Amino acid sequence: MELNVKFMIDTFFLALTGVPATLSITAAALIISAPIAFFMAISRIYNVKIIKQAVTAYVSFIRGTPVVLQILIIYSLLPSLFNTIIKSAGWNINVFDINPIIYAYIVFSLNTCAGLSEIFRSALLTVNKGQLEAALSIGMSPVQAYTRIIIPQALVSAIPNICNLTINLIKGTSLAFMMTVKEVTSIAKIAASYGYNYIEAYLDILIIYIILCSLVQILFALIEKYFGSYRAHPGSLAKAN
Amino acid sequence: MLELINIHKAFNNNQVLKGVSIKVKKGDVIVILGPSGSGKTTLLRCINFLEHADIGEIIFDDLRVNVKTASPGDISRIRKKTAFVFQNFNLFNNKTAIENITEGLIVARKIPKSEAVEIARRALNKVGLSDRENYYPSMLSGGQQQRVAIARAIAVNPDVILFDEPTSALDPELTGEVLAVMKQLAREGTTMIVVTHEMSFARDVANHIVFMDSGVVIEEGTPEEIFIHPREERTKQFLSRILPVEDYVI
Repeated sequence: MELNVKFMIDTFFLALTGVPATLSITAAALIISAPIAFFMAISRIYNVKIIKQAVTAYVSFIRGTPVVLQILIIYSLLPSLFNTIIKSAGWNINVFDINPIIYAYIVFSLNTCAGLSEIFRSALLTVNKGQLEAALSIGMSPVQAYTRIIIPQALVSAIPNICNLTINLIKGTSLAFMMTVKEVTSIAKIAASYGYNYIEAYLDILIIYIILCSLVQILFALIEKYFGSYRAHPGSLAKAN
Repeated sequence: MLELINIHKAFNNNQVLKGVSIKVKKGDVIVILGPSGSGKTTLLRCINFLEHADIGEIIFDDLRVNVKTASPGDISRIRKKTAFVFQNFNLFNNKTAIENITEGLIVARKIPKSEAVEIARRALNKVGLSDRENYYPSMLSGGQQQRVAIARAIAVNPDVILFDEPTSALDPELTGEVLAVMKQLAREGTTMIVVTHEMSFARDVANHIVFMDSGVVIEEGTPEEIFIHPREERTKQFLSRILPVEDYVI
């Protein structure tokens, strides 16, 4: 067996054109989810009636179903649902012209919300309640205490988990090919299908994902170092008793 | 200046405060003594609404608040008249020593930054930590952290400072430096309510002692009255267990 090197190089650059789509799905999912996940986390911490139960059920539903299945259901359900709504509203939009990447945004946001809310919840709980009380005791409002004292510290302890989630998200976006989104995986697969050069195409995207994920890890490490500077000896837990 | 009237507080079915009333005059140093679980800390926390009492009234100068109907505005006004020093310091870990102090001034009291920094420097100087202003809490010893916390409390210029066992989390060597700062504040006429087990502080610094047990005030009076001539059997019992024999009679 011999690799078609020329095809491999061409496809590598071709697949790179899918990187913006991959990253945009990742970014959109994170940006859409972050505020929602934050309020989900807060409502669980503060035991807000009904919302708490709803959030708990939602999280366990998303966790309990494979992403592939969520994609299949949403991609076959939503367009017809939108179509019915738009038809009955009398608008002149063809639902089937909607860029499928919109559906990818929806699926991955739904997923990320669940994961991120749990990350936020555990991170908020790492900041001891005493600091909130101290902030209140010197006259700060609860919102001021959260935005200036609690959240900055919670985010720092959440960074490793957010990094993890982001990387899983990037890799997960490869499933968007099922929704005919032109991202890294789908472009490579289509290119491979003409001449059955699947091995080359898969190796190409493997390299691309490794590069992407490594960059994300480096980025998060820098963020953690920058925002965690107040922790006197990062990584000193092993030494401390 | 400050008066608590008939404060009740229960956690679920556990009645922690069963009608406690206390009067505080300007310049008073009041020490609350009592065994663990007697409700001392809860009482202190009810004053600035870190705990929301169930029944009772809090009168602060011309502000009269029924705890049941206290509005967020009332709570905020009372919090701005008080400051709290915690057993576990509770410094903001993501802020340096000086930022811990300026934070409340700039954010909650809208004092311009340059002025806030000046106030904070004076407060740090008072607790003897001028050389540590840019240290994060994780770089300070327990005693230093508590002194920063005291500086944070005095910087907001409160009418009364509430101390909740300020030395209980410190080893004996560090206790001294915190007590010294508190004695200094008392000498300067700061109004303080202190929950502590430091009997020497209670005896030497307080002008009024409140002895609590099981959610009620058993007896109160001057240090002399409480330490030398306790009237109640429960007080005698408590003191005899907590004071070394030769200390019993001053």
